[in-house]
Amino acid sequence: MSEEGGSNKKLDDLEKAALVSSVTIVVFFVVYWAIQIESTYSLLAFAYDW
Amino acid sequence: MSSTATLGSNNRTIIAAAVVLAALAFSFLPPRLIVYDNLYGFFMWMETTWFGVIGQTWGAVFAIVEAFHLLAMALLGGAVFVSDFRLLGLVFNDIPAQDVLDKAHSVFKWALAVVLFTGIFMACGVAGKIYFLAVFWYKMLALVTGILFVFFVKRPLLKKDLNDINPWVIKLVAVSSIMVWVTVAAAGRWIGFSG
Repeated sequence: MSEEGGSNKKLDDLEKAALVSSVTIVVFFVVYWAIQIESTYSLLAFAYDW
Repeated sequence: MSSTATLGSNNRTIIAAAVVLAALAFSFLPPRLIVYDNLYGFFMWMETTWFGVIGQTWGAVFAIVEAFHLLAMALLGGAVFVSDFRLLGLVFNDIPAQDVLDKAHSVFKWALAVVLFTGIFMACGVAGKIYFLAVFWYKMLALVTGILFVFFVKRPLLKKDLNDINPWVIKLVAVSSIMVWVTVAAAGRWIGFSG
């Protein structure tokens, strides 16, 4: 797989669809796991009086 | 060039954006609660099916099916990691990417079939419990997202010559694929520790 490959080319329909769905997935799951980690930390802090 | 022609050439992008917007709207708007309430009867019915009765009555059968579910998840995870780490250029760089992707995808399809079949069996056995678990619904969301993403975006994209695809798009697809399948696996284990 060439690193230069199609980097300078205009994105076609499939690439744009991949970009839209990938960005949404990454943002959604980063936010989801961040909330889960934060709530776990809050519970532990409450339980152990941190 | 007319605007219709421009729209036509971006068909898949428009469909992907529409599906994403519809999923987000459904997840955060009140109609979700109406659907949730209406599904209660269906989950109660699941417990009365053969799968539900067997799963609740014979713990050993449930445990064996769960063992195959976990083994299939391991296989599925392996196929996802092999193909996505290859796309990121981290492993198997001496093997042509298309070979790795094709072989990993055929393993992925079989593993997914086993995961779905055993998962439905297990869900029937504990339907009354999982219905009330938020993490179960997040797992279903991740699972549906992962399946749609693989078969309607990732696979069609990677059938092209990889040299013709923007390398940043390839890397982003690999990262999002890893995220969604890790979430499916983690949420599944979380269900096991809940309730």
